[in-house]
Amino acid sequence: MAEHKILTEFEGIKDSRSLKTYLKHGGYQALAKAFQKKPEEIVALVKESGLRGRGGAGFPTGLKWSFIPAHIKERYLLCNNDEGEPGTFKDRYILELSPHMLIEGMIISAFAIGAHKAYIYTRCEFYEEIKWMNEAIDEAYKAGYLGKNILGSGFDFDLDHYIGAGAYICGEETGLISSLEGKKGQPKVKPPFPAVAGYLGKPTIVNNTETLAVVPWIVNHGASAYKAIGTEKSAGTKLFCISGPVKKPGVYEVPLGYPLKDFIEKEAGGLRDGVELKGVIPGGLSAPVLLPEEVEKVTLDYESMASFKSMLGSGAIIVIPKTQCMVELLKVTLDFYHHESCGQCTPCREGTGWLANIMKTVMQAKAKEDCYDKMYEVASHMEGRTICALSDAAAMPTKAIITKFKSELLNYLRRG
Amino acid sequence: MMIFSEALKEKIRSYLERYETKRSAILPVLHEIQKEFTYIDDEHILTLEKDFGLNRVHVREVVTFYSAYLTEKPKKFRILFCDSVSCHIEGTQKVMAKIEDFMSSYKKKEKELPFSLEGVPCLGVCGGAPAMFVNEDRYLNVSCDNVEAILKKYDH
Ligand SMILES: Cc1cc2nc3c(=O)[nH]c(=O)nc-3n(C[C@H](O)[C@H](O)[C@H](O)COP(=O)(O)O)c2cc1C
Ligand code: SF4
Repeated sequence: MAEHKILTEFEGIKDSRSLKTYLKHGGYQALAKAFQKKPEEIVALVKESGLRGRGGAGFPTGLKWSFIPAHIKERYLLCNNDEGEPGTFKDRYILELSPHMLIEGMIISAFAIGAHKAYIYTRCEFYEEIKWMNEAIDEAYKAGYLGKNILGSGFDFDLDHYIGAGAYICGEETGLISSLEGKKGQPKVKPPFPAVAGYLGKPTIVNNTETLAVVPWIVNHGASAYKAIGTEKSAGTKLFCISGPVKKPGVYEVPLGYPLKDFIEKEAGGLRDGVELKGVIPGGLSAPVLLPEEVEKVTLDYESMASFKSMLGSGAIIVIPKTQCMVELLKVTLDFYHHESCGQCTPCREGTGWLANIMKTVMQAKAKEDCYDKMYEVASHMEGRTICALSDAAAMPTKAIITKFKSELLNYLRRG
Repeated sequence: MMIFSEALKEKIRSYLERYETKRSAILPVLHEIQKEFTYIDDEHILTLEKDFGLNRVHVREVVTFYSAYLTEKPKKFRILFCDSVSCHIEGTQKVMAKIEDFMSSYKKKEKELPFSLEGVPCLGVCGGAPAMFVNEDRYLNVSCDNVEAILKKYDH
């Protein structure tokens, strides 16, 4: 599936992270092109391309950019490089291959939305990746792609790199903003949306690393070329990262709409010998699990995933082998959300706590058989009533596992 | 009393000027302090207030909210083992048990244990599950077969 190499263009290329290599492969030409256009033309171009946010929610990128109020001139662009959704390791791949692609995408995006300052917010455990990114930013400053009057365009733009401190919730865009303001990473009530009042109360666009990194390609090749890839409503390619018992776990770029089954068989080399499939979590831990018969039919796009009541999310595909105990998997899942809930909203703070506690009693074989029904009910009360979507992200996979693996969960209790 | 080195003070000052507000400097400043002292002490927080004008309540809320900041002196080698789903599927539990065995051998030999072991949320490298850090060194595809050799590199 090497048909479209947009984000993975630099795969297999020597010294791929350096500015020299990036320039040799046509780097920063999109920036020069972008400066020939008006900012609103770039917003229109991105809208037309059909690009949707790759951080999880799939919100149309150009549309988000157009929400900035025209009369407020102090604006910010933030790159969400927190990559905390369990199973996800695709944004770090962009830093490994071509950090300049992200920088070029950020300059163009900032120009489009009229921001003169941007931050990349990276999780602190990416020690090496942080170094690579910093080196690329230094190179870009020295070569005049960042700073004052970039390429003689009259556009000034500064880019800084901010490092998190170990909190999943800082991947939520308003949690990220709180963190960048030097506070606890607690999400803020929306509305107002960040595009209207974000960092320091100013209009702020938060985009995922992958979303921003694809912008130069769209400027270079045009909106219709991008839209021609993928499906009608899910345009372009996406990075998918696959983990679990497959022959070649890793990050692969495929057009949206690609069959999940083919992805597992062809890109990831199929299941390891002797492994039988129990299910697949298709879009990061928050995405409801799919059964083998669903895996046969679903395709990797927003609509198909939704039709199976799951989601494309961050593109993290976690393969579950038959031998995996689902009680244990549910416990690990709930311990994670309980640990990462920021504690502001009662349904989330208490709900994740109860769910994790019930699972503890299940593991100790002290729970009654109706415990799963109780969990389902608790999870239902956690949806749609909190400041951010972490609460929903905990509820959704819980309900799916209980529904789809009920007999296994009950057997666990009966066996004692 | 802990005193910040000149180099650290210089770094703190530059962070205080780097962002739109002084408050944004809190996270990077704490990273620097922890790099120098291995953990963050109340004394450091009070010094940040007295000498650099960072409100102690603001600093403390950050120290306690984020898991990267330590408030007690850590062991010389911190083992952070991924405890999320992909790594679990690939054997986290078994390998962590193996590490615990390895650590208990210190007790038997009555040697001081230089390691601590913690399960941590997803480290963002699930393609190499199970994954772990020993301090800032990342290891992928850690298994019961290779984990002891890795740890012995640190304490030999
Ligand atoms: C609990 C939670 C965690 C999130 N973590 C991330 C993350 O690590 N990276 C990311 O890009 N988006 C994450 N998001 C989504 C962001 O809130 C936001 O939608 C995204 O950064 C917007 O960028 P996009 O439109 O380019 O996708 C998270 C959302 C929630 C609710
Ligand atoms: S839903 Fe949970 S994580 Fe999100 S703001 Fe509320 S308590 Fe915090």
